[in-house]
Amino acid sequence: MSEKSKQAAKSKSKKTSSYVPIDSPIDRLHPMIKIYAIFCLGIGCAVFPFLWLAYSVVVFLFFVAWKAKMLTKFAGFITAFAIPITVMLLFIQGLYSPKNVTILADFGFAKLGLEGVLYTFKTVGTLLVFLGSFYLMTTTTYPGKLVTAMQDAGLNPKAGYLVLASLNVVPQIQRRIAVIQEAQTARGVEVTGKLKTRFTAFLPIIGPTVMSSLIDVQERGMTLEIRGFGAKGVKPSSLTELNVSPAEKAIKRVLVTFLILCIAFAFSWAIFTRVR
Amino acid sequence: MKIEVQDLIHTYPSGETALNGISLVIEGTTPVAVAGQNGSGKTTLVKHFNRILSPTKGRVLIDGVSTTERSTAQWAKKIGYVFQNPDDQLFLNSVRKEFEFGPKRTGIPPEKIEKMLPIVADLCGLGDKLEIHPFDLTATEKKFCTIGSVMMIDPNVVIFDEPTCGQDIEGNNRLISIIRYLRNNGKLCITISHDMKFIAKNFERVVVLCKGQVLTDGFCKDVFAKPTILSQSFVSPPPICRVALGMGLKQSVFETEELVGCIVQNMKRRNKK
Amino acid sequence: MPAVIQVENLSFRYAEAKKYALKDLNFSVEQNEFLCIIGANGSGKSTLCNALMGLIPSYFSGKMKGKVTIMGETTSETTIGNLSKKIGLVFQNPFNQLSYTTSTVEEELAYGLCNMGVPRDEMARRVKEIAKIIRVEKLLKKNPLELSGGQVQRVAIGSALIMKPSVLVLDECTTQLDPLGSEEVFDIVKDLNKDGVTVVMADHDMERVARCADRVLVMSDGEIIALDTPRAVFENEELSKHGVDMPDYIRFGIALREEKLYEGLSPLTETEAIIIGKELVSL
Repeated sequence: MSEKSKQAAKSKSKKTSSYVPIDSPIDRLHPMIKIYAIFCLGIGCAVFPFLWLAYSVVVFLFFVAWKAKMLTKFAGFITAFAIPITVMLLFIQGLYSPKNVTILADFGFAKLGLEGVLYTFKTVGTLLVFLGSFYLMTTTTYPGKLVTAMQDAGLNPKAGYLVLASLNVVPQIQRRIAVIQEAQTARGVEVTGKLKTRFTAFLPIIGPTVMSSLIDVQERGMTLEIRGFGAKGVKPSSLTELNVSPAEKAIKRVLVTFLILCIAFAFSWAIFTRVR
Repeated sequence: MKIEVQDLIHTYPSGETALNGISLVIEGTTPVAVAGQNGSGKTTLVKHFNRILSPTKGRVLIDGVSTTERSTAQWAKKIGYVFQNPDDQLFLNSVRKEFEFGPKRTGIPPEKIEKMLPIVADLCGLGDKLEIHPFDLTATEKKFCTIGSVMMIDPNVVIFDEPTCGQDIEGNNRLISIIRYLRNNGKLCITISHDMKFIAKNFERVVVLCKGQVLTDGFCKDVFAKPTILSQSFVSPPPICRVALGMGLKQSVFETEELVGCIVQNMKRRNKK
Repeated sequence: MPAVIQVENLSFRYAEAKKYALKDLNFSVEQNEFLCIIGANGSGKSTLCNALMGLIPSYFSGKMKGKVTIMGETTSETTIGNLSKKIGLVFQNPFNQLSYTTSTVEEELAYGLCNMGVPRDEMARRVKEIAKIIRVEKLLKKNPLELSGGQVQRVAIGSALIMKPSVLVLDECTTQLDPLGSEEVFDIVKDLNKDGVTVVMADHDMERVARCADRVLVMSDGEIIALDTPRAVFENEELSKHGVDMPDYIRFGIALREEKLYEGLSPLTETEAIIIGKELVSL
């Protein structure tokens, strides 16, 4: 099999979480750095008084997405999120914000105010930074690596389990439904075709899915314990190796500096405007 | 019923080729066993018989009709399939409802359902458990509940995927009587199993798969006489047969009495000389 | 030397059940012993395995009497997490063995070691070693959810072996493996037993039980009806009433004796049976 078809086959195989295994510098980056990035960039943009910073960061995120070889997926995610939320906020804030003083347009039934519009773009910008960076983090970070990183940073093993289990739950249910669907069709249930036939087919499938997940939950606790989960007096270790490289340390410093600068600027700006 | 498999190739979306050119004809009512190592393609092969899977290349014909011409649900009337894991199949709140579900779906008249129910329930050992919730059955009973719910559809072919898995003597005997019942009623039974003792005693024909191809196919007597070929697919002849082969007997023997008989004959022949 | 497993007056009734699933069991297992548990389905084999692991009474609600001691530790007075340092259990259903928190077979195998805080280098070494033994080297990067039943069973067994437990409890754990694959797993277990691991195994394959076991415990309806050497247990035809199938080799021996062809003890293994048979044929 050629390298290309191998990769195609890989991406087609069943997923276990939102993680997409594509090798890239972003994928290889230490997960904690990515978490730092979400918070430093997000909070920085939120406190910064001007619009342009958040949108510059969004542009930067596009660059990161390109580096991670997921530009199209990322663009899709951003537009699917940005357009509806902007329209909604423009409608609410732009037309009805009590802060509206400067009127940009008069529609008769309501007036479009500059303050509301600015507020909308500010909020959307900040949200895009937060969600965009979070999206990039989840799609480029292998769940096992993430939990290792979090445990190294002092996260409780039980919380680590919760993170992993919740990342895995949806694909597991999808897999179960596929198996059960097979079993039902073999007993004469049509699961394809018209919407109505599909709906009637769906009902018998819910039963076993719920049933088997109930059994699963009961047995999962047992399994984890017999495999040593929660043994007293042990610090859990992990198979995945994580080291922070000098470059990553530098990135971390840049991120923290960015945040500090943003906060410092926001603070001085607030004082400056008040004095004026 | 005639099942024809012609140059069947199946490649999963992951790129893995599970079946790599299988040709096979199964017909009549003689029960057929399918054996072979884990991952040799047994389940993948039988899942083609009712179009749970469609061929990547080649075709599967049921009485001359290509499986791809109908949906799995339509094939359900003719081809019954009992999955390995009962928890994937049972979903109603009583054994009776499980039994009635399939035949109602496939349009079997109520009178016939009513007539068949006690027979099937009895065969499956669930005659006095019809009102019980399948969730409360033991693992073995659940398995027989799924077998019964497929038999109730009254298909011409019944496929069992590893029915012997985890069964004790009682369960095995029950399975044997079900397989016999199916044969006596003109049904074809195809069974995947890892239990060679069970295969040797209850099936005349066995198909052994290895790496997505047919390794050997024929009468149990002949197939089990070739242990070296079988070991390629991690299959070994049943215990008594191995003893017979180890003693240097040329034919395969599946029953203790038969083996002792062979020894007695051998000694008599010697004494005459 | 004190017994590794000590079961005293153990009874257990599942909540909502009328009958006791285990009735006043008393037995002990010595260091390095290979004990097989046989009996019909529903006779209490799995319940007993769960009790040895401490899952009864922790996870199964019901009424328990008596006590189980594993290497000096009473199961009801400690946690399963602590017991898991000494004893490993492989479930009948291999899918129940998976942690469902890992994305590759490699991580799944290492899961228990992570919980025990084993250093990474050693962990990687042990994963490699076990993968080779259970022959899943090619599957290490695969997702556990994409494996077939037989493959999951191998991983399940591997996940218990990798912990190097002193006591290994196997509850019909090879039902989905092909014949030679399942023999292979038993050879592995037998080797571990030679190296000092105490093994308790519930199984339906009587030929295998006859070959492996030091002693056989026969259960029927929650009671121990026999606990003896394989030969003593299997030569007792009375036991077939309790759903005990005789191994074919023993049956062969009995049939030969009936024909007055042979007077010795029944063979317990294939090799023994072949030797006896060959002698008769070449007389």
